[in-house]
Amino acid sequence: MRRVLVSIGAKLRDRSFRGRIMMYAASVGILLLAWEIASLSIEAIKGRAFLPNPVRAIAEMVRLGPLLFKNFWISAWRLVMAILIAFFTGYPLGLLIGHERRLDQLISPMIYILYPIPQVAFILLLFLIFGIGSPVKVTIVAIALFFQLLVSARGAAKQIEEEYVTSVLSAGASRWQVYWHVILPATLPSILTSLRVSVGLGMAFLYIAETTGSFDPRRGGLGPFIKNNMYSGTQAFAGILAMAILGLALYIVIELIERFACRWKYVPRRPS
Amino acid sequence: MIELHDIVVEYGNGARAVRAVDGVSLKVPPGGSLALIGPSGCGKTSLLYAIAGLLKPAVGEVTLEGKPLSGVGSRVALILQNAGLLPWKTVWQNANLSLLLAKEYPKKTATAALEEMGLLEVKDRYPTELSEGMKRRVGIARALATSPTVMLMDEPLASLDTLTKERIQDLFLTLWRKHRFSLILVTHDIEEAAFLGERIAVLSDRPARIKAVVDNPGMGELDYRGQEGFIATVSRLRSALEVGR
Repeated sequence: MRRVLVSIGAKLRDRSFRGRIMMYAASVGILLLAWEIASLSIEAIKGRAFLPNPVRAIAEMVRLGPLLFKNFWISAWRLVMAILIAFFTGYPLGLLIGHERRLDQLISPMIYILYPIPQVAFILLLFLIFGIGSPVKVTIVAIALFFQLLVSARGAAKQIEEEYVTSVLSAGASRWQVYWHVILPATLPSILTSLRVSVGLGMAFLYIAETTGSFDPRRGGLGPFIKNNMYSGTQAFAGILAMAILGLALYIVIELIERFACRWKYVPRRPS
Repeated sequence: MIELHDIVVEYGNGARAVRAVDGVSLKVPPGGSLALIGPSGCGKTSLLYAIAGLLKPAVGEVTLEGKPLSGVGSRVALILQNAGLLPWKTVWQNANLSLLLAKEYPKKTATAALEEMGLLEVKDRYPTELSEGMKRRVGIARALATSPTVMLMDEPLASLDTLTKERIQDLFLTLWRKHRFSLILVTHDIEEAAFLGERIAVLSDRPARIKAVVDNPGMGELDYRGQEGFIATVSRLRSALEVGR
C-alpha cells in the first residue's frame, strides 16, 4: 500500500504527468462548455430546453444515483463480456488467417460475404430463437465486434515485416513460437487501436440490442433506461452521460493495457 | 567441416520456378572462414538461408562433419542484416532468444556474451533506444550465446557508417579467433570480404554460380587493412567480379 502511495505521489510530482491531467481536464471543460452553449442556443431558438444543460444532467445523475448505477453495471457487464468474447475469438482467428495463406484462401471469402451484412439485421431472429435475456444481447454485440477485430487482426498479421519472422526462425523457432514471439506482439498495437474503435461500435450495438424488439425496462441496462425516459430529457441525458462515462472508462482501461503490454512503443527513440 | 554439395535453390514451382542458386559446392574447415561475395540480388542470401536451413534446396545438401545439417540450432547461428532484433523485446530478451527457443534458458543465459559485447549496462533497454552499432552487437551477442560451431552472417554490417563498420569488423575478427567457430559471411563489400574471409568465393549474377575462389592467407590480423596482401586481394576480387559483367 505504501509503495502504491509513493508511486502515486511521484506521479503527481512529475510535471509531464500533471500537464497531461490538466489537458484532460481542459478537454472535458471545453466539451461541457460546448454542451452548455448548445443547450442555451436550442432554448433561445425553440423557446424550450429540449437539450438539458450539463449541470442539470449531472445533478439528475446524482439524484438517480442507485437506479442509474444498477443500469450502468448491467450495460457495463454486457459490453465488457461482448468485447472479451470478440477479442478472444476474433483476434486469434484473424492472426491465423492473416499468417497462414491456405487458411486465408479458405476463410476470407466467408468473411467478405458475412462482414458487410449489418449484424443488427439478425437481432429479431436471435430474439425469436433464444429469447430476450442478457446472453443474446451480449452475443449480438460480440458478433458485431468479432468481425471488426477479425478483419483488423488479419490485416495486421499480413503487414508484419518478414525480417522479424526470419529473425526468430533463424534462432530456431517452431511455428507456434513464431506466433508467440512475433505475430502476437507485432500486431498488438493495431489490435488495441481496433479495440478502441470497437468500444464506440459496441456501445451503439448494445443500445440497439437493449432497446430493439426486446425493449423491456425491467431487464435493465442503460439502453432501456434512456429509452424509457426519452420524454423526460434530463433523465435521458443522465443515462447518456452514464454511457459516456462507461465508454471513457473502457478507453482508459485499453490505454493502460497498451502502456503495459506495448511498453516498447513508449520509450524515447534514439535519433538516427 | 561444413560442406555444400551442389546446392540448387529455386523459388516457385514448375514452369514459373526461378533459380536463385545454381549448383554451388564449397567446403569450410572447422574454425575456417569463407566470404561469399557477389552483386546485389545475385542469390547470396538464398545460398546462406539454404545453409541455415531456412530454405530447402531443390537439389543438393549441406553437411556438418559429414551429417546433413538440419538447420539453425545450438550448433549453427545466423546473424541477419540489421541484426534482426525484435523491437518489443529488450536487449536481454533479444540476446537470450535463441537459448529460450532451444529451452536452454534460464539454465544458460547470454550474460557472458552481453558482457563481451559491453552491453550488460543496457540490457533493459529496447532496440529503439540503441545506436546502430549497439544493435549489431546485440545481434552478435544473441548468436554467441549459443556457443555455435558455425556462424553464418548475412550482410551484417550493411548500412553502417565506415568507422562503425570497421570497428565491428575488428570485433568479428577478434571473436572468430577467440571462439574458433567456422564463419560463413555473405557480403557485397569487397573490403569486408578481404578482411574477414580466409577464402572468398566470388558469385555470378543470378542464378548464383561460383565464378572464382580467392585464397586470402594473410588475413587474421587487425592491421591487415593496410598491408599489401589486403590490397592485392581487394584487387583480385574486383577483377573477378568484373569478369562477365
